[in-house]
Amino acid sequence: MNGLVYDIHRFSLHDGPGIRTTIFLKGCPLDCLWCHNPEAKSFEPQLSFNSNLCTLCGNCEKSCPNNVHQIIDGKHIINFDLCRTSEECVENCPAGALSIIGYSESVEEIMETVNKDRKYFENSGGGLTISGGEPMAQFDFTFEILKRAKESGIHTAIETCGQSTEQRFMKVLPYVDLFLFDYKETDPENHKNYTGVSNKQILKNLELILENGASVILRCPLIPGFNDNEKHFRGIAGLQKKFPSIKLIEIMAYHNTGRDKAEKIGLVNPLKDLSSVSESEKKMWINSLTRLGCTNVTFG
Amino acid sequence: MKYNFFTELKFTSAYKEYINAHPAIREAMCLKAQYPDYFDGITEGDLLAGRIQHGLIGFSPDEWGPTAFGYYCLTTEIEKHLKENDYSTEQRTEIEEILEFWSTENTSFKLRSRYTEEMKKYLPSDDWMNQSGIAFPLYRLTGGTPDFSTLLKLGIPGLRDKITKLLESADAESKDPDFYRGLLIALDVFVNVIDFYIDNVKQLLGKETGQSRISDLEKLLNVLEAVKISKPRTFHEALQLFWLYTFLGDVRNYGRMDMYMGDFLASDIDNGIITEEEALRLVQSLWKLMVDRHTVVHNRVIIGGRGRRNEKNADRFAMLALEASRTVLAIEPQLSLRIYKGMNPEVYEKALDVIGEGRTFPILYNDDVNIGSVVKAFEFNKLDAEQYVPYGCGEYIIEHESFGTPSGVINLLKALEVTLHNGIDPMTGKEAGLALGDFNSFKSFGDLWNAYNKQVEHFVRLMAEQEVLEYKVAGETAPFLFMSMLYGECLDSGKGMFSGGIKYLGGTLETYGNTNTSDSLLAIKKLVYESNSVPKGELLQALDSDFEGYELLRKKLLDVPKYGNDNNEADNMVSKVHEHVCTYVREQKDRVGLHSYLVVNINNSANTLMGHSTSASADGRKSCMSMNNGNNPTSGYDKNGVTAMLNSLVKPRTDIHAGAVQNLKFSKNMFREKRDILKSLLQTYFDNGGAQAMITVVDKDDLRSAMKEPEKYQHIFVRVGGFSARFVELARDIQEDILTRTLY
Ligand code: SF4
Ligand code: SF4
Repeated sequence: MNGLVYDIHRFSLHDGPGIRTTIFLKGCPLDCLWCHNPEAKSFEPQLSFNSNLCTLCGNCEKSCPNNVHQIIDGKHIINFDLCRTSEECVENCPAGALSIIGYSESVEEIMETVNKDRKYFENSGGGLTISGGEPMAQFDFTFEILKRAKESGIHTAIETCGQSTEQRFMKVLPYVDLFLFDYKETDPENHKNYTGVSNKQILKNLELILENGASVILRCPLIPGFNDNEKHFRGIAGLQKKFPSIKLIEIMAYHNTGRDKAEKIGLVNPLKDLSSVSESEKKMWINSLTRLGCTNVTFG
Repeated sequence: MKYNFFTELKFTSAYKEYINAHPAIREAMCLKAQYPDYFDGITEGDLLAGRIQHGLIGFSPDEWGPTAFGYYCLTTEIEKHLKENDYSTEQRTEIEEILEFWSTENTSFKLRSRYTEEMKKYLPSDDWMNQSGIAFPLYRLTGGTPDFSTLLKLGIPGLRDKITKLLESADAESKDPDFYRGLLIALDVFVNVIDFYIDNVKQLLGKETGQSRISDLEKLLNVLEAVKISKPRTFHEALQLFWLYTFLGDVRNYGRMDMYMGDFLASDIDNGIITEEEALRLVQSLWKLMVDRHTVVHNRVIIGGRGRRNEKNADRFAMLALEASRTVLAIEPQLSLRIYKGMNPEVYEKALDVIGEGRTFPILYNDDVNIGSVVKAFEFNKLDAEQYVPYGCGEYIIEHESFGTPSGVINLLKALEVTLHNGIDPMTGKEAGLALGDFNSFKSFGDLWNAYNKQVEHFVRLMAEQEVLEYKVAGETAPFLFMSMLYGECLDSGKGMFSGGIKYLGGTLETYGNTNTSDSLLAIKKLVYESNSVPKGELLQALDSDFEGYELLRKKLLDVPKYGNDNNEADNMVSKVHEHVCTYVREQKDRVGLHSYLVVNINNSANTLMGHSTSASADGRKSCMSMNNGNNPTSGYDKNGVTAMLNSLVKPRTDIHAGAVQNLKFSKNMFREKRDILKSLLQTYFDNGGAQAMITVVDKDDLRSAMKEPEKYQHIFVRVGGFSARFVELARDIQEDILTRTLY
């Protein structure tokens, strides 16, 4: 069985405990305004262009059968819509400015890579994390990896936005040691505006797995001007009150590090001008959350 | 080094006077002429006596300049000195006569003049730092680590007694009495040197007014007077005797210091003779003196490890040594910690603290791998192998039993380059190796592989022969008295180290460009022979033009898997290249008559210097760029994170060579806040067969360099606000932002 992967990070220290290998799957059902991995949204491979590296040599223009590239007046113009990801341009770019994001990989290949660091996992209490994109969206693939890993004694985690069916969550539950579960917005209307979907199903899923004994770290992206408000903070605190088994609340403070990523794949970043969260703002958030009764809050 | 007309003259006269005397007597008289003159006075703050400024003519086993070992004369420097200074015509004539005399009397000249025709043809130059070539001889007898325990146990009087007895029975046992006579004169020289420093301290005391310095100097005076007449009784005396001896023997690597110093330290502290703080001050002073010795690639101090007779006391010294390295901010000594399962965890934690502060020391050696490797590679038994010590840039020997100077360097990448050009070095256009056919005639990758092997083997044979010849000439020239009095079976047999006095006389050959060569071979194999996507002629043109106009081809070469990413294909090629050269080198020992002859894959600046004269290579490396360092991947070619790199590092065999080194880089944050992760990472690496690690802690400067040369810093991942990125792929202003934040 194959899945669409866009990166594998070995020695990943931020997606669960210990030394981990994180598999990034391509494709996500949500469309968050603040998405810091826009290249992970589409379920298809796609062309990426790094203008910093381009020497304007024109090879891509010559080699592309679909007229995607044009060099006009010293400017490299790309019509991403025409691209069929046939890779001729990538192969002919001497500067490494072009690449195709997303490649097909089998469960076996993934497990072979994961197993290479097995001893590191064992000695550090680490393991495998599937991230994305949304791992639950390539369900069969994700399920198969988790099952194999779990059965061979590797600690497993998934990082999920929570958008999937209850059946699927119940199915993976026995094979997931830790859920890094996103909680983006408390107000269902706002949630829809920010991410394209309501949070109803997501919350249902969260409650379902918690009721069934899942180990959960709640990951809360906080975006100034969007969800850093009292109502949402109360929502976070309320969740933890209701489910004391939520081990940890990880605040993912907005950072504009991924600012230019959208442009590389021909998209527009709607929050291009939003700057990163300051340390003082972060402190205020922590204060508010603790005041509302949250415990175990950290920054991820 | 300095020029001292009077001493150089005195030295030359002594040599001439004893030119036909027994080599031991000649050496002893020459030592007497050069010491204590070449010693330098005590400097403010020194708690131990012993500084040196060797002269431009002299005697030493180790090198005092390129090709300057044994009896040496640095002609060019003397000529330069003559030009810049006033000397009378008479003096000038005298100096010119001396230069004329030494031009044929210096040891490396004698060695070179005995090269075979083949050696002369293929090893035409000794200037490996500046000239292009596949292999170069080195002229030095370095890395010897004598029996310091015995030195400290017997002291000068004890050694004198022992040698005197041996001299008395020499004739009866048909041993060489002159060898012992030479040794006794050498001990007189030792005493002369102590006297020199006694005078020096007395003079300083006459001028000194600061109370605390006076007290330090008075202590030093007592110590010097004591070691002159008796064996060392205190830690301070032991350090002093040891330190002066290292100059006399020109010993630049100090072996298992914790073992031979541990008991002195423990007994002094336990008996209230010295406090911990005073002991630390002494070691700090020693460390500073080592720095000022400017040996660059030596000054190895070994602590830790299996097979220490006094483990507890030794560990007390080890802790002190670590603290000294933490507090003396310097690039030397090269403190090296041998680690093993069951070692004192306090020592290991302390070592990580020191490394975490960015000291790059201690270098870690994994006994649980290395002892077994030494048993196999050198064919030693386990007990002997436990006494292995790394010296210099990382070669192993068995302390005071074996010797294995690296007497040559071989540039494997140049061997491939010359092979691809049918014997011609494209850098010079001259013949530089065997002509084994042009690239086109290699119909399969196997043909190319065989030709490359032949090329390397040809030079390995020559280097092995050169090593033996070097020992032969050295043995005929001198017994190297100071080292021989504490080495192998020299004393009992009445023979110098290189005249049959040690059982385990071995050699080593430094290899460079191992990784580049392997990555290049794999690229050629895949693109030229397997996918036929690159024609041979085009590849050669691309290499010859340093990829100008061949950027796309270079990109293809770069895209072929590289060592350091846990990619089996790439790592297997490295293992194959490694195994070939290591095995072939190792096989030479029986042919040339050495106890062992082994590859060392080590770290110094040779990868850069020899890189300067090596053309573009098929791994995508540009002309004149550095080659890879030791067993490391080429900088910037490892892109899969640290576990992948470590997994690659453990693949080449460790039991067929005499040492290999690897550099690892971590962030300070990792050491401070993720110590548990770091420890498990290192533990896994060592469990997996990691033999050695030199750990640099990366700080902001690395990020700055990454902004300047992104291609070399692919491996730096940064973590900000919930997602990871390769630092070099971020926009400039974001990089700058991160620079002001923490790494990882
Ligand atoms: S081939 Fe690469 S370097 Fe050349 S114009 Fe296209 S993107 Fe730029
Ligand atoms: S991937 Fe193919 S279709 Fe897309 S731009 Fe490149 S050459 Fe054109």
